[in-house]
Order: sequence, then C-alpha cells, then structure tokens
Amino acid sequence: MNAYKIKPVAGAIIMALASTTAGANTDDAILSVPGLMPSATLEMTDHPGLWFKDPVDGDALVVIKPGQAVQIKMSEETRSQHTITSLLWPVGAKDFPVDQDKPSDASITKGLDKPGLYVFTCKVHPYMFGAVIVDDPATEGLDIGTELNLVTGAKVPADSDIAKKLLRTFFVVTTPSLWRDYRKPTWDVSLPDIPLNIKGQTISLNALSMSMPNKLLTPKTPGVGEVWVDTQFEMIEGKKKPGTATRIDAADWKLVNKVKGVKEEMNHPHNMWPDKTYQHIYQTQWFDKRLLTFERASGKVTSNIEVGESPSHVLTRPEDDKLYVAINGGEQVVKMTGGAAPSAIKSINTGPNSSPHGHYITESGKYMVTPNALSGSVSVVDLDSETNTIIPTGGVIPIAVWGTPDGQRAYAANLLGTPPMLSSLTVIDIPGKKKLSDINLAADYDPVSGKITGEAYGLLPIQTPVSPDGKYVVTANTLSASITIVDTATNKVIKSLPCEAGCHGVHFGMKKGGGYYAYVASKFANDLIVVDMDKLEIAGRVLLADSKDTSILAHNGMGGQGVLPLPLVEHGYLKETLKLSGKKQLSPDVEKWLQALTKSQKGI
Amino acid sequence: MLKNILFIGWAVFTALPAFAATDSGKTHLITLKAARLDSGQLAYQMLSHKIRDESGSEQNVTGRYAKEPSIPGPAIVMTEGDKAEVTLVHGIEGSNDPVSIHVHGVHYKIDSDGTMKILNKVADEAAFPGKPYTYKWTAAPGTAGAWPYHDHTFGNPKLGAEDKGLYGTLIVNPKSGQIPALIDGKIQQVDLKDIKREFILWMHETTFWGMEVNNIVNRQVPLWTNPTLGAREGELVRFHVIGLGTAFHTFHLHAHRWIQPGTTHILDTFNVGPIQRESFVVKAGEGVGPGHWHYHCHVLQHMQSGMMGAFMVVGSK
Repeated sequence: MNAYKIKPVAGAIIMALASTTAGANTDDAILSVPGLMPSATLEMTDHPGLWFKDPVDGDALVVIKPGQAVQIKMSEETRSQHTITSLLWPVGAKDFPVDQDKPSDASITKGLDKPGLYVFTCKVHPYMFGAVIVDDPATEGLDIGTELNLVTGAKVPADSDIAKKLLRTFFVVTTPSLWRDYRKPTWDVSLPDIPLNIKGQTISLNALSMSMPNKLLTPKTPGVGEVWVDTQFEMIEGKKKPGTATRIDAADWKLVNKVKGVKEEMNHPHNMWPDKTYQHIYQTQWFDKRLLTFERASGKVTSNIEVGESPSHVLTRPEDDKLYVAINGGEQVVKMTGGAAPSAIKSINTGPNSSPHGHYITESGKYMVTPNALSGSVSVVDLDSETNTIIPTGGVIPIAVWGTPDGQRAYAANLLGTPPMLSSLTVIDIPGKKKLSDINLAADYDPVSGKITGEAYGLLPIQTPVSPDGKYVVTANTLSASITIVDTATNKVIKSLPCEAGCHGVHFGMKKGGGYYAYVASKFANDLIVVDMDKLEIAGRVLLADSKDTSILAHNGMGGQGVLPLPLVEHGYLKETLKLSGKKQLSPDVEKWLQALTKSQKGI
Repeated sequence: MLKNILFIGWAVFTALPAFAATDSGKTHLITLKAARLDSGQLAYQMLSHKIRDESGSEQNVTGRYAKEPSIPGPAIVMTEGDKAEVTLVHGIEGSNDPVSIHVHGVHYKIDSDGTMKILNKVADEAAFPGKPYTYKWTAAPGTAGAWPYHDHTFGNPKLGAEDKGLYGTLIVNPKSGQIPALIDGKIQQVDLKDIKREFILWMHETTFWGMEVNNIVNRQVPLWTNPTLGAREGELVRFHVIGLGTAFHTFHLHAHRWIQPGTTHILDTFNVGPIQRESFVVKAGEGVGPGHWHYHCHVLQHMQSGMMGAFMVVGSK
C-alpha cells in the first residue's frame, strides 16, 4: 500500500465513449451509456488474512481516485459463500452501505465519489476485511476522511480512538507478518511511513506502529485432561486449505499433536465437540460445507461429509448424543447421528436469513438457543417438539451464545453491539423465550478519546460461555483484544483482562484440585490464554506453535478459534460420561481424568 | 478396433459433399490478445480482423472494434458457412502461464480445442509469451446462435481464467439471413439486416457485463457493468444473454416479450446457468412506448447486489 497502488486514471470509459462518439457517430447512433468500469478489484478468497485480495499486488487494500469504481467479487479460491457488506465508510458517501440479506456468490461494482476509507466485510465470516481508499490526488496524504459511518449507524470522527483502532486492526488482520508470534521476543507492529490525511491533518501510518514484549507463562497449577484449540490459519504441507486442531496436555501444558486433515483438505476447522465417550471429536469446517470426524486418541479421520454452507459450531444433546450442527451460511441446524461416521437426520429451521453461528444446548437437553447472525435475533428451539421461537434482539450480528447451568438464562454476544451500544451481550430468558436486557460491554470506554474509566472495555465480542458454577460470563473481545467478565448476579462487567489481537474462542476446563480455568484463543496470535476463574486473573499463556514440525509451512499456531477442553465442565454433559466410567467404555486416559475431578467438579 | 473407428470416422468426414456446398468461401483472419487490465482482471482485445473472400481479397474490419481490451471481449460475428483462423497473442505482463481460447458452438478439430495436453491428449493448445497459437473454426450449418469463447488454461490448466474476465462472444448468423421473432404481436421471420443493435449481456455472479454491437455504424462499444442499453422506439434489437461463473439467474426485461427460440412460447423471463445462452429479438418499446425499461436478474440476492440496468427506449426521430 503506497503510492504505486494509486490506479492510473481509468481512461477506458472515456475512450469507449470517445471511440463511439467520434467519426461515424454524427447521427447519434450510439444511445447506450456504459456502466462502471472497475479500476480496482478485491477478490474474495479463503487465504488467511487475504480474504479480500487485490489481484495486482496480493494485499487487501486498493487505492482509487474519486469517481473510479471498485469491483468486489467471489473467486474460485473460496469454497464458501459470503456477503459483501460495508463495515465503515465516509459519512456522505453516495449509495452506501452495500449489503445483502444472505450469503451468495456475489460480485458488485461500486463507483466511489467521496474520498476516504471504505472497509468491507462478510457478515458470515466477519473478520474477512478488505479496504478501499478513495484518494483525492489534490490533497496531501491518503484520504481517510473526516467522519466515518459504522455499519451500526454510529458516526465517529476519523481521528477518534475507535477509528484508529479499526485502522490498525485492519493492517494487523490482513498482514500475517504482523501477527503476534510468541516464538519471537517481541511483537512489532511496524507500519510503513505512508502519509494519511485524517480530518485534514497529515499523519504517517507509521504513527500507529507499536511494539511489546512476548512473554509466555506456564500456569502454576495444572489442569485436568486436555485442551483442543482450532488453529484455523495454519498452512500445512500437502494441502491448500488452512487449519489444524492443536492438542495441549493440561497436565504439563505441552503440545501433544495436531490433527491436520491433509488428505481430506480440512478447511478452516472452527469449532469442536466430542461424543460422550470422548472417542470421537466432531470438527466443523467453517469456510467450507463439511463436518469432519476424527478419533481423539489417534487423530485418524473417520468421516468428512457435506452438511451445508459454512458449518460453524457443533454440539451434542446430552441425553442421546445426537449432533446439532449450526449451518452459518444457511438458516438451519442439522441434526445428525453421532459416532465415527455421522449422518444427517433432519434439518431444524431457525428462521428466515438466520445464519446461526455459535449455538448452545441446555444441560437438560430441553432447549437449543441459536444466535442468528444475519437476522438480529436469537432462536429458542424446543428440542423435543423441534419448534422454534424467534426472539428479535436488536443486536447486530449476534454471533455466539451460552447459558447458565440451570438452563434459565442465555447470554448472546452481539459482534457489532445493540445500537446505540457499540458492544453488547443480550440476556435471554430461555424458558420464557424473551429478551430480558442488554449488557453494555464497553460502558467505560470513550470511543472518541479512547479513555477507559473502568472495567467495561470489550469491543467486538465473540465467544461468551457461562462458567460451570453459573457465576460469570467470560467474553472474548476481538477488537479491544480484551477478555471481559460479567457477574451474572448483577449482569455488570466486573473485570477486564488483556487478550490478543483477534481474541475469539473461550471455554472452561477443569483445574487440578478443584475450580476452573477459562481457555482463550486468538486468531492473530499463537498463544492460548489461561484464566484462573477463582482469582479472575491470567494464570498462563501457552504456546500453540510447534517449531519442530516442518510440515507447518506458515502461520504456526495462528488462527485460534474454537476451544474444547476435556473433560467437559458442563455437569449435564459430564454426568453422561461419568455413567460410563468403570464399564470399559472409556479409554484409560479418560478414566484417569475423571478420577482426578473433585466432587464439586463432577457436580455431585 | 481403434483403426476401424478412425477409418469410419475418416470415411464419414470425407463423404460429406454437402459441407463444401455450404462453404461461403469467407475466412475470418483474426488476431486477439489476452491482456491484463489496471484492475488486475484479464481481458481479450482485438488486434486485427480481416475477412478474406473466395477470390483471395481481404477486407479489413478491425475498425469495428474497441481499441482497448474489454470485458466481455470482442464480439466476433460470422455467418454459417464461414471459417475463421483465430490467432491468440499472449500479452499478460508478468506471467508465463499459457492462455487460450476455447470456443463453443462451431466446429473445430482437436488441435483447436484451446485446452492443455492433460485434457486433450494432443498438445498444449495455448499461447505462451512470444509464441502465439492459432485456432481454426468452421461455422458449419447448424451452428447459428450466440456462443461463448473463453480461456481454458490460464492460472489453472484445467479451469482457465474465464472467471477473471477472459471471455467473449461469438455470434454466428444463419445463412438464410432471417430469424424468427415476435414482432407486432405476431411470430414472423425478420431480416438480420433490419436489426439495428445487438446487446450482449453476460451474467457473471451478480453483475451484468455488456457490449453493444451497433449495426447502424458497424461499431462495437464495451458497456462494462450493469449498463444502460439505448435504442429508438420501433427499432429491431437483438439481445444475447449468457451466463458465467457459478450462479443461476432469471433474466427479466420489463415491458417486452419475445419467443423462446424454436418454439411459440412467449417469454419475458428465462433461466440462465453458467455458459447457457439465449438470444431474442424485440421491437424496442413495442406497445409500451419510450421509457427507461428495467432489466435485471430476478433472483432476490442478485438484485440486492445491484444486478440490474436499464433498456432506454427513446422516441423515434
């Protein structure tokens, strides 16, 4: 992204017109008016970081002049459907925002008149970012603009803290060399010296650079069992599509192995769940259409079948071990048989344009709750009758939900808040099938000055599980790179902890001797954060990279998303596994884990 | 066995005297270039088009084309009985990938398939930098219609780069010079020479990419994305609609009707899948008068993505 990125004046439209209006055209024979000719292109791919790729130089930013047009289109380099959606654009831009109700194989060509920064995303995979800068050559520096519109309806000055955060995040997200690699002593976000014009002032992009030390930390108290993390961006020799599932032994925090799915072209493994024996792990492939199943112990793949567009999360129902797979690119959850080779039983509709993402099943097995990313609602499905109640929440991109152990309340994270709230959790009464309230996750943050006056500082929340004792909601916030902890007694943010760029997946695991850890994975860093839930403090940062594995070609340990600690902490699920203990149905290692649990952890 | 098949094939081929009788004697000598646009997309460009008749004299018609590469590429117009020798020049800077032309509809031998040896088992039928490739086509009887041509090798030896813009249109007109159309409420034969304008619309994902072949001034105009198509009320105009990519579409033009070719079915909407195509003639504004008549894909998400334009019918002079 520098001066060479500025496209030559698009002469072709003018020339096309000139060639027809000159000469023989005195009789005004050509009446057609050409449409826009793209001067730049962003091609949507599933390459980590380059989800909107400029075919000219391979990055995710194009620069055009006012009056020129950009084409944004799907390419054959993505195996899933997307939306082309404006995330932010200069206030006053004509015919904005761009959006569609549903993901599809869309292509658009958009003329852009107003100078400034335009960022596009996909609502199904909302960290896919591409940007267009419309730069007026008459002004000094690349034009970012004066005031920016966010998709939520908010307008923020271009020099505000939130605008700068988004700008820096854009470069980090789309530039894999800027991701935080804990194998190096420091994390350096070195941005080039390119002059930017923000509200008429010229500043260098370099001013957004930063550096901080990388320090891993081994938790003093071991955990019980193992922690699986979807390292969704790792590039592996022998396959084109990214992603592995990384296994960490909670007893010594060592990396055990990675399941790579080379033969199967496992594509963006996003979220996992086990059967009740912990023999099989079900693995969604989010930028694809397939669900993969592998043996936990050996990593051997036993099934890889199509289930629908962009399957995001998978859960079982405790009582019968059936699978429920959220079809994020569709409007359904697919119910399947479990085991080595799951097969579809039926499809449960979650509502028009719902795009369910990170769902939840109550421990009683009575209800399933889905956050409907594209329809601003939460569905409560009665799993016996399979009837669906849609609760409009006003949330923008509700992306993940989890509930209290008693199955009474659910907390849904709204990635883009509940306008005018920038960032929020919606509280749902599950049996009452109604919305109770919104929790402002960023109440203590001033988006203009950037001043933080308290603990409530969480921007772009994603996974949001409730602790097994029902006391806390732990939320991974991807933009603020923070973990917020909400007290369920008051529904207030009581704590904010530092996370990483692209903070994303959270789930709880057993701490040895009693209590729980929250494990937090981040997309643009290769550590797993361990939060001690007794102290609400960070107890460790564990490396997800494996430098000795030469088959990892790029993004080693990066792309942390779904987290699956075993044994499961949810008592409703755990009791089904405990029932099998001592009956030769569980492997010796699982038996050992169960023996290590306290009564309270077992839910006795 | 194989020998026998080959022999029979040869016998059938040589025993086709009708073929010679339908030969117009015209050969189109065409040079196209594959180039890269500023946007990073790829496109074909016409460098030269001469038509050689039976006597050997050549008419240069290069002036009818745009001078720059365009998406869709140049529209090549032939008549049943014509032949073409199409030479492709590799002009994609910074790339050594082979680029080709695979044509639909017309006849050609296996060495003009425009594919790589891994598919055709004969040769890499593509242009390399500094090494053009020539394809020979025969617009034999029964090949009239609008047909796609596209790359089949660039970047991916099995797929090619049509998705990035390397595609264009071949129009083969019937030898009779007439086509059926619904005009003034009746299905009748119309003379091709009475068709004033031809509008080519490629439906690629959720965008129309257009080209006008204007028969009044004998000139082609690239119309790029979702254009406004202009005609005078009462003029006969022909549409050629072609799909590309992965999506399935329903093409709809407001306030006009036409016949499904080969039938008496009257349509104002039809389905278009990848590389499927349909041509039809309308009398601009027939029964409805001048106006900005909307055309669009009728798939809802495609409309939300802006897959639409106008057929602007202006009052007759």
